[in-house]
Amino acid sequence: MLYYAKTEALRMLRNRRYIFFVVAFPVLLYLINANIYGNQTNPGGVSYSVILMVSMAAYGALASSMMSSAVPWATERQSGWLRQLQITPLPSWAIIVTKLITALVLVLPSLVLVSLAAVLQQGVSLSLGTWAELLLVMWLGVLPFVALGLAIGSVLSADAAQPAAMICMFALAIAGGLWFPPEVLGDTLSTVADFTPSFHYARLGQSLVAGHGLDMTDVLVVAGWAVALGGAAVHLYRRATVRA
Amino acid sequence: MNAIVFDHVSKHYGDVLAVDDLSLAIEPGNTVALLGPNGAGKSTSINLLLGLLKPTAGTVTVHGRSPDTAVKAGEMGAMLQNGALIPELSVRELVDLVRRLYPRPLGLDEILKLADLTELAGRRANKLSGGQSQRVRFALAIAGAPRILLLDEPTAAMDVESRLRFWAGMHDYAAGGRTVLFATHYLEEADEHSDRVVVIAKGRLAADGTAAEIKAGAGGHTVSFALGDQPVAGLDRLPGVTAVEVDAGTAVLHTTDTDATLAGLFRGTTLDVRDLKLSGADLEAAFLALTRES
Repeated sequence: MLYYAKTEALRMLRNRRYIFFVVAFPVLLYLINANIYGNQTNPGGVSYSVILMVSMAAYGALASSMMSSAVPWATERQSGWLRQLQITPLPSWAIIVTKLITALVLVLPSLVLVSLAAVLQQGVSLSLGTWAELLLVMWLGVLPFVALGLAIGSVLSADAAQPAAMICMFALAIAGGLWFPPEVLGDTLSTVADFTPSFHYARLGQSLVAGHGLDMTDVLVVAGWAVALGGAAVHLYRRATVRA
Repeated sequence: MNAIVFDHVSKHYGDVLAVDDLSLAIEPGNTVALLGPNGAGKSTSINLLLGLLKPTAGTVTVHGRSPDTAVKAGEMGAMLQNGALIPELSVRELVDLVRRLYPRPLGLDEILKLADLTELAGRRANKLSGGQSQRVRFALAIAGAPRILLLDEPTAAMDVESRLRFWAGMHDYAAGGRTVLFATHYLEEADEHSDRVVVIAKGRLAADGTAAEIKAGAGGHTVSFALGDQPVAGLDRLPGVTAVEVDAGTAVLHTTDTDATLAGLFRGTTLDVRDLKLSGADLEAAFLALTRES
């Protein structure tokens, strides 16, 4: 199973589309934005180079967790690869657990690279403890998005899963204020954004870099979404792999 | 103990009856062809054996256990129809991935050799031709050294060369006392590559035996001669004859035993037999006769 996870990760890293959208894109976007706004600070006194770092890392993590789960999973289900695995001694729970682990591992490159770009190009410096907390929180916080990706992949065909995952990803990125501050969305949309896991996910990171601890509301909302979407994913996964 | 047992198995898909009261036992070490036209229930039977489908009625057992248990124990390997590969992985990586999921797999080099993939080992799956992909799927099926190997129309998309090599690999694999069941609608494949042929049509067992027995049993031999205006009566009572056709003065006797029929024809009748023709065992004729009846 470990080898299976390793192989899964390897194959995603060989996928050019994945590398571009998920790893290169957030880094580029960060560098462009940070070079324009990076020397300003927000009302709380935090430099935009840091705020943007969190937003772009969050976007990269969101994109990675959805792209590495929904489409490959839908494709494998449809193409017969899943059946090939189902007739080996590998238990069926191990398949989805491996997908989950792989998606989590693949989030790390975008988190680390955006942070690295921030340190090297913008001279961002945080204490070691803050870095550790930030990466850990941003890493585990992607669980709802991985679950959403697996749920999409369990329900839709490969052709439909691609746009569905993209739309969900963009909607979550915009609503979560990952691309521009949520205030520009207007009142109605801001209210909607307040319910999304991505908004609270980004806030987890922002709270840490601003020096105040995690807001329990953010933790609960992200965890709640993780539980809800995780439950949905498991249910849909079982339905998708049921032996009639 | 039998390797594979179907005990009064039926499988419905809604109103469609894909497998209809099928009973069948296969001994370990046999290579059996599951022969039937498209839609006869071949794939359904294979999926039932793998536990990918559950029978509506009856039971399927593999080495006396349920298919799920056998799959978990790594006893089954299969080449299914439309099985895709992961495009970003090389042949070697794919084979290694699957073999590591089994408790007692074959060695990587041995698998690649049996499937004739040694030269293609480093190639990515999305750069393979149709026939090459099929060979990779064969490699995946045998990777775990399963005691039972199921092949669902394994030579589809293969050219002649690939086919020859594929069957050679299959025979090498089966030679280790393993049980092989392959589904095909190619008669010559069933004839050449199996110890036993099971013919199914419309989900039912139509015939079961060696290729030679099936040809004989279905009256695959014919004896024909110019009858002219001599009487037809009595020809159908000759030894071995299963059917008589007369067309434009030519009598065609379908028989299960050409020798007995000829002896009866010359010794037991006073007919003037001219233009005698014998046509031999033809599995295609047998197959058509069998699948038409049912």
